[in-house]
Amino acid sequence: MKKLSLGIFLSALLMVGLSSCNPKRIDSKLLLNEVLMVNENNYMNDYGIRSPWIEIFNKSYNVTDMAGCYLRMSNNPGDTVTYTIPKGDVTTKVAQRQQAIFFADGEPNRGTYHLNFTLDPEKTTWLGLFDTRMKLLDQVTIPANTLGADHSYARVDDGKPEWEVKGNSSKKYVSPKANNMIKESNPKMEKFAEQDKSGVGMTVSAVSVVFTALLLLYLSFRFIGKYFSGRDEKKAAAAAQPVATVKAEEKKENKSAAASDEVYAAIAMALYEMQGGMHDVESGVLTLVDQQSAWSAKSGFMRAKPERK
Amino acid sequence: MGEFFSFIGNNLADFWGYTGFANATLGHFIMILVGCVFIYLAVRHEFEPMLLIPIGFGMLVGNIPFNMDAGLQLGIYEQNSVLNTLYQGVTSGWYPPLIFLGIGAMTDFSALISNPKLMLVGAAAQFGIFGAYMLALLFGFTPMEAGAIGIIGGADGPTAIFLSSKLAPNLMGAIAVSAYSYMALVPVIQPPIMRLLTTKKERVMRMKPPRPVSHTEKVMFPIIGLLLTCFFVPSGLPLLGMLFFGNLLKESGVTRRLAETARNQLIDVITMLLGLTVGASTQASEFLTMNSVFIFMLGALSFVIATTSGILFVKLFNLVLPKEKKLNPLIGNAGVSAVPDSARISQVVGLEYDPTNYLLMHAMGPNVAGVIGSAVAAGILLGFLL
Repeated sequence: MKKLSLGIFLSALLMVGLSSCNPKRIDSKLLLNEVLMVNENNYMNDYGIRSPWIEIFNKSYNVTDMAGCYLRMSNNPGDTVTYTIPKGDVTTKVAQRQQAIFFADGEPNRGTYHLNFTLDPEKTTWLGLFDTRMKLLDQVTIPANTLGADHSYARVDDGKPEWEVKGNSSKKYVSPKANNMIKESNPKMEKFAEQDKSGVGMTVSAVSVVFTALLLLYLSFRFIGKYFSGRDEKKAAAAAQPVATVKAEEKKENKSAAASDEVYAAIAMALYEMQGGMHDVESGVLTLVDQQSAWSAKSGFMRAKPERK
Repeated sequence: MGEFFSFIGNNLADFWGYTGFANATLGHFIMILVGCVFIYLAVRHEFEPMLLIPIGFGMLVGNIPFNMDAGLQLGIYEQNSVLNTLYQGVTSGWYPPLIFLGIGAMTDFSALISNPKLMLVGAAAQFGIFGAYMLALLFGFTPMEAGAIGIIGGADGPTAIFLSSKLAPNLMGAIAVSAYSYMALVPVIQPPIMRLLTTKKERVMRMKPPRPVSHTEKVMFPIIGLLLTCFFVPSGLPLLGMLFFGNLLKESGVTRRLAETARNQLIDVITMLLGLTVGASTQASEFLTMNSVFIFMLGALSFVIATTSGILFVKLFNLVLPKEKKLNPLIGNAGVSAVPDSARISQVVGLEYDPTNYLLMHAMGPNVAGVIGSAVAAGILLGFLL
């Protein structure tokens, strides 16, 4: 019965764990974030020229280096162009939650951020970002004739999976090297301020989580405790059995026992010393721990200071 | 000659402008007085001296007046000053997890492992946090500030500092000082509530002695504890991870030197730096505000709520427990995680009514569960509010 309930508990725990695994999660730190194909009045490059651009976003909360990564573009199967982000340029390190812009002007000799291909809005365009070992980090396909002048194809918010066309309304703006959605307030805070003015909602949910976490710990150690108590009882019973058998034989045959009480006392004392912290258990290191007792107490051997009466 | 004396006079006048006397305000003297009271309480009454001495002295250090426009890089809030550099451990939140490492290395979880239902008592005492959260909202604090203030009810200084550094850095000084002050005042706050909420018959209740706990169970506890609690509340990882790591160092039995360092030298060094810098962060100009007054008031209330909920939960729990497994309600206060003070209070109050009823070991169960519970609660607040 104990084993059955332990099994049920562990299976439930395993199921909760496995069901929470989300294989669809994007684990890549670097993501394609926004693409602009027809640049008439938008972001200018360092040569003062307007060209199509691709924005990469560092989703992580740590600096990430793009050096050695690959940006690939294709309009038709088999015509893939690859641009390798050069190594040795310190500016390829993107700060946490920041963006980097690459200009698709077909002029790679102009610097690290100038790609060896251009973008054609009249053709379906596939863009892929690969890491240094050619593992796909992110990809996006922009259908032909989707983007007009100064319109971009961008993630709704930085790093979010949904894409949309931006630049055609005041709420959906093109945002080179800036957040795709400007947040003027903390939405979580607003939600709490609006829906949980008294704090009861937070209290109920937080207390339930605290209780559930500690309840799980309680249940785990209840089972573990029962298992170990049972095991110890069995061990104690097994240890007691040979002694009883020997004593019974001793009585029966009227001979001396295989081990006398003194032997058991000596074994018990040795065990006590072993377990009582005489030595630590680091392998290969012998450390004697000073055991204070009445025998080693200096005060026991000192004469009392004579007092003048 | 006259010019020379005028030069000397001007120099001295300039120097006077840099002295503490010329820059002192009433606020500085009030804070210096508060610092002296902390030191007095620690030395005379031995109220948490390990905390109150560094904090009290830190208050003196932080409130020495100086010319703030001179760019001397002296104050704790001036970038790259010595105090500011030491304060990074507080603002970046890495002192508290190191303290938790030491706490883990010095805590024996046997009482909890032998009687795991005491974990629920530790969980119940966390009502103090959320009671204070609701009250703080009522006083007009934002949810993030209310969360940081509420954690005072966890009675766990490092957790309070950790959480306030993330949620409300502007209130951290007041929250830290409030948390540590009330932790020091646990022997004053808790006993009257304990007496009020229990009957004489309940106070003399005897609990079943804890069973011996095997070495394997002790080693398993930090591993399973970490996995279960942090899978649930990953935002509690810095605190819980270090707490359970420290405990594994202690219980594994093969890393004795590391455990010794964590529970002695390391925690001592960090406690000194933490206490001193938290004390110094109470610079009068930043600290003496109405917010601080509210925070102190809410802190006291959170301790009262936490103690009350712990005791009432035990009484409620007893209704469903079999007779031989009933708990003495006097251990309910120990769910407030001021380790080991609140457990000691259970023992002291218990002994007042039955000199042979030793509750300390039983109270240590909810006490250490309170540490886990408050770290979990901090993780939840971080997860919900950040």
